[in-house]
Amino acid sequence: MIADRVSLELKNSLSELDTLEQSLQQFGEALGLANKTLFQICLAMEEIVSNIISYGYTDDAVHWIKIAISHEKGILTIRLEDDGIPFNPLWAQEPDCECPMEEREVGNLGIHLCKKVMDEMIYERFGNKNVLTLIKDLTINSRF
Amino acid sequence: MEVVEKRQDGICILGLLGRLDSNTSPEFEKKIFEVIDDGTRSVVVDFASLDYISSAGLRVLLKAAKELKRSEGKIVLCSMKDYIKEVFEIAGFVALFPITSSVGDAVKEF
Repeated sequence: MIADRVSLELKNSLSELDTLEQSLQQFGEALGLANKTLFQICLAMEEIVSNIISYGYTDDAVHWIKIAISHEKGILTIRLEDDGIPFNPLWAQEPDCECPMEEREVGNLGIHLCKKVMDEMIYERFGNKNVLTLIKDLTINSRF
Repeated sequence: MEVVEKRQDGICILGLLGRLDSNTSPEFEKKIFEVIDDGTRSVVVDFASLDYISSAGLRVLLKAAKELKRSEGKIVLCSMKDYIKEVFEIAGFVALFPITSSVGDAVKEF
């Protein structure tokens, strides 16, 4: 039986990124994903989740990030929910990827990478929750 | 993640094994800056055994490259898997670093 759905909850600690990666690897293997596809999914999720953990909270409390991943008819849908400060990554300023080295910064580069390797990103705010949905069409062989 | 250091003709070759992510990047940053602070001006980073990189890893490479440029040094990257190189392309980093397909070619860049 191939798992077509996985849910996990991560605490707001960077050490949880290992748990995330392991879950994604298992799920990816069960689906038979190509190395590159699995890499891109792991990359997008690490970037989003590490941003939530690093910048999403203004207190020292434990917070939970809820993640649900489902696969149906070749479409992978990832839903991330957190109760951090309101933040819409779609509004994040695009980094300048063409300026000379001296002026180059890495701010928002993670969001930029996520936007490029995912096919769709949808942000919603419900009450005190940020909900980000990432969609990847596994049936198309995209350049990125 | 492991960093393996080799020296060849005054060039420091750092081989990365495993993953360069938010958790492991600080370790790589410490290592590469130890090498730079030691006076090394020619650095090759060998990606042959690297399976994963995220923006955290790119941040360390950019920081090291800026430091080397300031001191008239040079950094060359080599042996990337195709999906790793694509990350550099998406980030616009291919314009910032010479990227070769082997250590042998990387060493010739100096």
